[in-house]
Amino acid sequence: MHALRFYSTLYRTALKSVAEYRVDFAVGIVTAVAMQLAALAFYWVIFARTPALGGWSPGQVLLLFGFTAMVLGLSEATLNGIWWLPYYILDGQLDRLLTFPVNSLAFVLLSRPELHSFGNFAAGALSVAVAFHSVSAPWYALLLLPLWIVAGAVIYTGVLVLVGALTFRIVGPWVTHLFTVHQLFNTSRYPISIYPRWLHVLVLYVVPFGAAIFVPADYLRGHGSLWQAVLVPPLAALAVAFAAKTAWDAALRGYQSTGS
Amino acid sequence: MSTLPAPTLLQAIGGFCVLAQKTAQTRLTYRLAMLVTLLASAFAYCVFLLVWEEVYRQNPHAGPLSREQMLGYLVIAFLVNTMLILNVESRFLQRVRMGLVAIDLVRPLGFVFVQLAQATGDLMVNAFYAVPIYVVGLAFAGPALYPASWLAAVLGSVSVALAFLVGFGVSYLIVQASFVLQSGYGVLFARAALHQVFSGLSAPLVMFPPPLRRVAAWLPFRHEIETPARLWLGQASLAEAPSLLLQQAAWGVGLVLAGELIFRAVMHRHQIQGG
Repeated sequence: MHALRFYSTLYRTALKSVAEYRVDFAVGIVTAVAMQLAALAFYWVIFARTPALGGWSPGQVLLLFGFTAMVLGLSEATLNGIWWLPYYILDGQLDRLLTFPVNSLAFVLLSRPELHSFGNFAAGALSVAVAFHSVSAPWYALLLLPLWIVAGAVIYTGVLVLVGALTFRIVGPWVTHLFTVHQLFNTSRYPISIYPRWLHVLVLYVVPFGAAIFVPADYLRGHGSLWQAVLVPPLAALAVAFAAKTAWDAALRGYQSTGS
Repeated sequence: MSTLPAPTLLQAIGGFCVLAQKTAQTRLTYRLAMLVTLLASAFAYCVFLLVWEEVYRQNPHAGPLSREQMLGYLVIAFLVNTMLILNVESRFLQRVRMGLVAIDLVRPLGFVFVQLAQATGDLMVNAFYAVPIYVVGLAFAGPALYPASWLAAVLGSVSVALAFLVGFGVSYLIVQASFVLQSGYGVLFARAALHQVFSGLSAPLVMFPPPLRRVAAWLPFRHEIETPARLWLGQASLAEAPSLLLQQAAWGVGLVLAGELIFRAVMHRHQIQGG
């Protein structure tokens, strides 16, 4: 209970510090919405040329767009700090953190919420709301939405941590390895059926973004089963979270300070 | 306080070249990071290719371009985009926050030329990476990547140079925003979003729905990717070429001048952060 209160205070403080710059906050929101609109513009270009993509209708693909944006938004709003790890290591901030009586991974993740996340989340929620009308799912399926989005955010962040743990070994002022994960995550915007087999396996089983995005969306369009949609996303999230924590602890054991 | 005397033209050109060369060397220091970024971008771009592949599989007459023409266009668009990734804004945002901008403002070369020299350094390194991309592209798309003729190759190359000026002009405008905002990353991402849609990176404008095409026609972004790609591949007629090149030049010069005007206005109220 005490730990929960501590991390809650830490997160609120971090949020206040980034929200202090109001113009930046507004620009961040507008930017995130612009980026989602950019993605939707490509969607428009595609569906001006074809009635369906990989067997998915425009509304069903919009659902994938919406889920992906909401998962990204939630992860950026809450667990975004991993993107700052290279800089924490370089300027010695991580050394100081390691002397605190806290869980270092939770501290790093909660320390840097990203403002534009709210724009991503809102644009995603709007896309899902619009797309939901075009799928044949019962209304109560929406009750599962929080489960899917939270599971998706845990999976996305978990994979970032897994890859981010390399930062302890390859020290430098870059986040390109994390950027690679982000690009892989963007494959969730389109139906898995358009990708080659190896990519299916990769995004469903190895870095299972698809477990929290394709599986629920497939159920909503009347193809997958309810049990899969209920069980697969949280189980995949738990597995990735466990792997991420294990990788973080292992990487931390071999950590050598930069001496900054 | 005395000011430094303005450099002669020869000194200025020498300083410009040295700055471009040093920027290129700095970029090459982080070869591994750049290679990973390039591979990640290529992967992301493959998603566009796969989407278009599926569109043409379902509808072989999906638009005015054939599947082969589309493939050629997309590979050349990626190549041009790789060449024109300039680090002007990201490099500068960091310097504003750390207070290092004070040094940039007193360089004898002048602020805009310092930025242009560094952008030229970026271009030199990017051109180096573009060669293997073209070779790999040839293995997949073959003759679809060849220039339509010698003249098309020349026009395409001139257009890439002008596209560099347009790209730099947009970046220079964003640099001005970072003087005003605590973090200019928001504007940087907004530019990335607009660039992705309207530059023709994900599809040539001829494939756009008419309303989107009309918006794109009024923006400079298409001259960064689409114009050079179409000229190289001969998808733009020779009669169109002079007009397209003139439009590119006008956008490039206009954007840099607009950035310079804003820069002068911003300098009246800018305070250097202490770092």
